[in-house]
Amino acid sequence: MNAGRLSAAIVAAGLLVAVLHGRVMAFPVEGDQTTLPTHTELNEDALDRPREVFHSEITGRKSYLVNLGNLAFSSPSILGGVARQANISCGTCHVNGAGNAKLFMPKMSTRPGNFDTTGPLFNPKADNGLLDPVRIPSLRGARYLAPYGADGRMPSLRDFVRNVIVNEFAGPEPSPAIVDAIVAYIQDIDFLPNPSLGPAGRLVGQVSETERRGEALFSKPFPHDPGMSCAGCHVPSGAFVDHKQHDVGSGGLFKTPTLRNADFNAPYFHDGRFDSYNQVVAHFDKVFTLGLSTQDQKDLVAYLTAVGDGVLPYEHEDAGASLKEINDFASVLGTAIPAGDKKTVVLAVDTIGGELRELTEQYPDHKNTSVSGGAQERINARAGLKEVVLLLRRIDMAVGEGRIADAAADYRNYRYLMAAAVPSLLGGAERWSLFNPEVHDQHYGALRQVLQSKHVSR
Amino acid sequence: MSGTRVALCLVPLAMAISLCRANAAPLDESAERYRPYMIEGIGSALAGARDLRERVAAKDLAGAKQAWLSARAGWERSEVFTAGFVPELDALIDAWPNAGSGFHAIEAKLFGAGQTDVEGDADALVKNLDDLHSRLRDMRLTPQGLLDGTVRLAYEVGEGKADGGESRISGTSLDDMRNNVAGIDFAYRTIFAEALKAVDAGLDEQVTERIAQLKLIVGAPDLPHVDVRALRRASEELVIALQAASARLGLQRPTLEAQSR
Repeated sequence: MNAGRLSAAIVAAGLLVAVLHGRVMAFPVEGDQTTLPTHTELNEDALDRPREVFHSEITGRKSYLVNLGNLAFSSPSILGGVARQANISCGTCHVNGAGNAKLFMPKMSTRPGNFDTTGPLFNPKADNGLLDPVRIPSLRGARYLAPYGADGRMPSLRDFVRNVIVNEFAGPEPSPAIVDAIVAYIQDIDFLPNPSLGPAGRLVGQVSETERRGEALFSKPFPHDPGMSCAGCHVPSGAFVDHKQHDVGSGGLFKTPTLRNADFNAPYFHDGRFDSYNQVVAHFDKVFTLGLSTQDQKDLVAYLTAVGDGVLPYEHEDAGASLKEINDFASVLGTAIPAGDKKTVVLAVDTIGGELRELTEQYPDHKNTSVSGGAQERINARAGLKEVVLLLRRIDMAVGEGRIADAAADYRNYRYLMAAAVPSLLGGAERWSLFNPEVHDQHYGALRQVLQSKHVSR
Repeated sequence: MSGTRVALCLVPLAMAISLCRANAAPLDESAERYRPYMIEGIGSALAGARDLRERVAAKDLAGAKQAWLSARAGWERSEVFTAGFVPELDALIDAWPNAGSGFHAIEAKLFGAGQTDVEGDADALVKNLDDLHSRLRDMRLTPQGLLDGTVRLAYEVGEGKADGGESRISGTSLDDMRNNVAGIDFAYRTIFAEALKAVDAGLDEQVTERIAQLKLIVGAPDLPHVDVRALRRASEELVIALQAASARLGLQRPTLEAQSR
């Protein structure tokens, strides 16, 4: 990494640390009346969300199928009863297609960022009696990353998706169209671009000495088995994988993970046991007796950091980003309403309505002590969002009763409101909303303080 | 347009206006029938708050918790009118998350920390509820304001409770919802049902069915067993039915936020 990139990376890392520490007030599930175990952390209040890059948007627009898949991926209603009650969707773990390094669920996780897909909570029938969580993976570039599952047990992404829905989360058998749509969505999620990677996975541009040495070490045969090297499995190419499973001394055969965008994919290894590249390199040095010097290890870490980089990995969560996603979801109604496709309309109304209700709560009501000022603006924002929630419900009712023309008219009204009026109302109230970091921290800090009262005297 | 045609066009308008007037007076009278319920609900909350103050003074944690629950039930039954008619007291009494006083401040101490050092908060709660209670006899109750409040509460009942809901420290969010639905049910039956049935029996049936659905859903044994999707659907369908009812009753379309008209 050159000096400029290194300093940029240091600044970025510093910012990331600051962001993470700034969000230590991330809000865990609490109380005795919740479906999820107390102290579950979903990191849903994060203000910085992973950036999602869609392959189809590079040259055009996302297709109906991709939007439908994204909608279903974000819908608790395709999963089983426990997940539905807890408002858990595929997108809870795979936020904008990336991993969720802060997700922690007692009984299902051993550390933030991993999750036991064969645990007792969501489908007791799938419980293997062991607490054996796996790292929550990023789905960026998944179309290059077969086979699927940490152990690479499934060659087909389609089979894998169905298995997650039906077996791991006890959902009803999904229609083939929904599975196809989710697969299309996942396959449309690109890696974040990394301008430092050239053809054949070579570092290009201003490459630092340490990165160049790391790159050479990466391809250097292992001392005790010249047939092996890091690059032998992480083949420098589009995805730095070999599509195979290997035993790297972590307790079994696991598939080679991608190094692309891996700077943002911690924790590492199949069970998320390592927090950093330093630990990963030290592990390989020990298990394969590589005899790496301290400098060698630094060089490899520098190389991995350069390979694993990506442009703008996070973006600030605000009303604009939320509305963009919601509008993409709602676009499926443009096809489903004329077709009288009741199931898709129900899925869309249920999911989008839920998102809009959550968005409403970003604008504190008059009883919330975390914010003063902007009372009328907040009222207007909340009222506007409630109006569109109800418009969606009218669409659902109309399609359910076969009144397609009424539904189409309501959909036109919905789009009209969402095109200008609602964004304007939300924009007017943004500074008093939970999208404002000050208000956000005040609100969640207060909530956390109240909830912690439960543990003060215990 | 000829004079005859103008006159013909005005006939439905005149009929609509006379219908509004015909409905307005009985609705005003019906709104008055809500007053005793309102006084009883806030009276119950006030009695509970006074009891709470005494239990707190006696360092009786269990008794204080029971008194809080009693006060809370009366308050939640009254939410049809509190946000719209007395927003400033509503904000003082039901503020959250870290209110300086009010129900949730006391809830955190009693049910969270297991402490009874809430004398000041209990005093403030009694004072505010007393203030509210004293205003109720002379407060002008409008059918429009009560319909607005009923609709807002119907929408609010459908909000997600996956995080444990509003009263998660005491674990009584489901009780809040049940009392809210009871308040909606009473307000509708007392003020609007008769008038709506007279002009649109089908719509009255729709409203009544949705309220019955809500009652059934919040009748679940505990919050994790509340069917949240069905709850949201019933809540939104009820709001839509009440919006339609407003036109049939000669009232304005209900607001979805207090003070947003």
